[in-house]
Amino acid sequence: MKAVGARLPRYDAMGHVTGTTQFVDDVRVPRMLWAKMLRSPHHHAAITRMDTSRAEAMPGVRAVITWEDVPLLTYGHLEALGIPADEPLLAKDEVRYKGQPIALVAAEDVDTAMAGVDAIDIEYSERPALFDVRKAFDSDSAQIHPWGNWYPHFEGEMDRRKIRKGDIDEAFEQADKIISGVYRPAAIEHVPVETQVCLAVPESDGRLTIYSCTQALYFTMGVIAAHLQVPLNKLKVVGGTVGGGFGGKVDTASDTVSALAAMKAGRPVKWRWTREEEFLASSTRAPWHMEIIDAVTDNGWILGRKMLTLHDSGAYARFSPYGVTKHSFHHTGAYTIPNLHFDGYVVFTNRVPTTAMRGFGVTSISFAVETHMSRVANELGMDPYEVRLLNANRINDTSPNRIRYTDPSTVDVLQSLAGAEGVQLEGAYAGMTRDPRSGDLLPDHLVGQLKTEGH
Amino acid sequence: MRIEVNGAGHNVTSPPLASLLTVLREEMDVTSVKAGCESGGCGACTVLIDGQPRRSCLTPVVTAVGSEVTTVEGLGTPDSPSAIQQSFIHHYAMQCGFCTPGLVVAATAYVNGGGSDDLDSVAEAISGHVCRCTGYNKILEAVAAAVKSSEFDLSSTAVDKNTVVIKTGGAV
Amino acid sequence: MAVHRGRGIAAIEYPTGMNQNGDPSQAWIKVKPDGRIDVFSGTADIGNGAKTIQSQIVADTIGVPYEWVTFDNSNTDSSPVCTGTFASRATFVAGKAVLKAAREVQRKLLDVAAQEMEISPEDLEIEDGRVSVKGLPDEGMDVGEVAGAAVYGHGILVTGTGAQLNPYAAFTDPGTGEVDSPPHAAISYAGCVAEVEVDDVTGEVRVTKLTQSYDVGRAINPSLVEGQIQGGAIMGLGLGVLETSYPYYPSVEHRGSGFGSYYAPSPLDMPDLETIIIENPSEDGPYGAKGIGEMANNSQPAAIATAVYDAIGVWITELPITPEAVLKALDKKAAGEDQPRRDGKMVIFDEDLSVNTVGAGLQWTA
Repeated sequence: MKAVGARLPRYDAMGHVTGTTQFVDDVRVPRMLWAKMLRSPHHHAAITRMDTSRAEAMPGVRAVITWEDVPLLTYGHLEALGIPADEPLLAKDEVRYKGQPIALVAAEDVDTAMAGVDAIDIEYSERPALFDVRKAFDSDSAQIHPWGNWYPHFEGEMDRRKIRKGDIDEAFEQADKIISGVYRPAAIEHVPVETQVCLAVPESDGRLTIYSCTQALYFTMGVIAAHLQVPLNKLKVVGGTVGGGFGGKVDTASDTVSALAAMKAGRPVKWRWTREEEFLASSTRAPWHMEIIDAVTDNGWILGRKMLTLHDSGAYARFSPYGVTKHSFHHTGAYTIPNLHFDGYVVFTNRVPTTAMRGFGVTSISFAVETHMSRVANELGMDPYEVRLLNANRINDTSPNRIRYTDPSTVDVLQSLAGAEGVQLEGAYAGMTRDPRSGDLLPDHLVGQLKTEGH
Repeated sequence: MRIEVNGAGHNVTSPPLASLLTVLREEMDVTSVKAGCESGGCGACTVLIDGQPRRSCLTPVVTAVGSEVTTVEGLGTPDSPSAIQQSFIHHYAMQCGFCTPGLVVAATAYVNGGGSDDLDSVAEAISGHVCRCTGYNKILEAVAAAVKSSEFDLSSTAVDKNTVVIKTGGAV
Repeated sequence: MAVHRGRGIAAIEYPTGMNQNGDPSQAWIKVKPDGRIDVFSGTADIGNGAKTIQSQIVADTIGVPYEWVTFDNSNTDSSPVCTGTFASRATFVAGKAVLKAAREVQRKLLDVAAQEMEISPEDLEIEDGRVSVKGLPDEGMDVGEVAGAAVYGHGILVTGTGAQLNPYAAFTDPGTGEVDSPPHAAISYAGCVAEVEVDDVTGEVRVTKLTQSYDVGRAINPSLVEGQIQGGAIMGLGLGVLETSYPYYPSVEHRGSGFGSYYAPSPLDMPDLETIIIENPSEDGPYGAKGIGEMANNSQPAAIATAVYDAIGVWITELPITPEAVLKALDKKAAGEDQPRRDGKMVIFDEDLSVNTVGAGLQWTA
């Protein structure tokens, strides 16, 4: 029997239904300590004083970890992709969001660890906070980072991701209608049923075993090794079985600090986030602010698109510049628009840093583009299937970043939905294919964007 | 203080108001019972107490004294899975698996209690459980099927009657 | 006072993989003396089914029963590099690493079998755990015998390694966004029709049905594909009408800190689901597969927003479309304040939400 194409049960199905699948929190090791984190109670503040000596002296407390214990405090998860580091593993002199980690206490039990957190003496001086990305550019806005309120390092020095294609002015000139709209999908939580959790175990050979809920074992190992300034063979990351991730367990927030605590205490340390921490202090999907202005003709062609995106990154960059770049490359959705002018900013606010989540960078664009497409169809009095099929990606059409589409299925998908819905498409639309444009489907404005070889 | 879990006795060392969840996980190493929220919101820690589904995180261990506590380990094993466990496998009613033990326990109580195979009734019965992966559809199908049948094919998963496959393009 | 029904459509595309760093995934396989197969891959299984899918690919590529394959992704000592389980890459990109490793294993098994049978390896094939002479299915030996002969007769460790590395993406012109090599490994397509009921008294939007179509390339396991599509659909429903970390965004007040105050979809929110799987094989995915896990929650929000317009005639473009948002929009409609501003050929929606209205530092216009 062939396995590919077969409805085989999950490899791990029996373990799941009998409760024998081992997740991180299920690993048992002797002499394990529990950890709790001191988190910022303020959205934006200077830390003016911190003294952990009372906590360290408490019976049952075995280690307190602050920024001073981290060999490399600030490391960027995507430094390899040219995104500089801007976020300390533990806050040093400033906190930029409520819930930001400051100090970890490892103790014999959970209650002692919590008491240890309470025993840390810390004082803050609150600073003005910024929450609305639309006000981040205002002269009287609160300032979040020394360099400003938006990410300045696209391709080294650009303060925004730009797409420029064709002649946007000409498109607006030629348009019968210019239709604009604003789209604002919300931040949402990943809500894995398994909260963030790590168990770090010092081994007799001087290595550290790190039981991680990461979605990416090697990525996580690299991040831990960078912060700890150790070679990779010092670490063994154990995982591969994750209780839900959805993008929220790529830049895992628990591993490195747990490892530091385990090293300092010389004992295994488990740090399992509460559900409240998961909801309030873990990263979210980003909220996005998107403005689309489309130049359209009365017969349904989209000649050009001007777009502004403000990505609410929260307090730090994390994966956001990558997400906005990906977003920009897909800002025409499943359609071909030859004239484009896109500006996308990664804007900082004093909220929990946002991160990857299912559909990263594109979930936002799909909502904006498709809702706008429905409005365009409505304004033009056209059938929603037909306006989409007309502008659909075809072989040899090019994307915003000028990749040639070799296998686009916009047409197939729309026709299959029409079929399922019992919608009778008019002849030309019913017979449409993914094949390269010709005849009526290759109007003058689409000729220049075609690419018949290469990428 | 002594509790009965999956047919075996256990002398509790935790205080009386410790949660049953903590006693099961940290004292007894019964790790199928998951600490999903520890506040009664997700259902991942569900156990049977005298056959009734209960949130172990909200149950002080002292209240389980004199009752029979059953976790998913007590319902079936990899060598001998229960009908409901089989049905979950056959209907692909799981993805990451973290919420699955709690759902299997709740489904067992529902089916044993004479629940119907009406999908709305099943949804109502498991409405206190959070599964972030599956979208619930296949879980509802699995529970409904277990109302009617006690054995399932474990070498394949069920065909979804609401799926249509369209093949285009050439063979690869 | 009434319940209004509406319907809306959305079509989307999504890139698989992230080639900025070459997006590497690697795997290795060894064969036990009885022919059983051990796969070592670094791909985490977050519920998506990487263990299952990659085992299926290995089983067919070598030509052994699925049950012969064990899969180990448990740690960085035994597993090689995998960029990770995200970007819809676990099947499309990492699947190619195990595919390559399995091909090498098959080739080595055939070489050993050819020596045992004194025949050219080109004349042999493997299926269902048995090596046989092409065209003569009764002539051959079991893979277990071949594997044993490798260990005890030939002194060979039968292994295979596979590494997938995509071309590094780089901008040819950062100022225009033009790239010289794709930043993704493939693009997948999908669409959704949402049907909703909107109660104009309570403001509640109930999604009653989602009809969805996905070009999956090839469904390596149709049940797992359905799992992604259905799970994604409910997550998309959450995005559309239920979920938000900041109920009064941009305010940071009133955050939900538990399941009673953050509305992740429950079994009671389930709409009817109808799924169309299009198998349009990809050019270079394993067995023609494409990656669809990520895009699975991207089409529903727009389809729902459009369906809400179809039902009650107001566009709500801030998500989620809560009862409060619906009632406010209906109030605006009743007051005649829901229409776009029209100026010549300009049709301007949502002016009150624009950065031009709310902010001062960034003016942005057509």
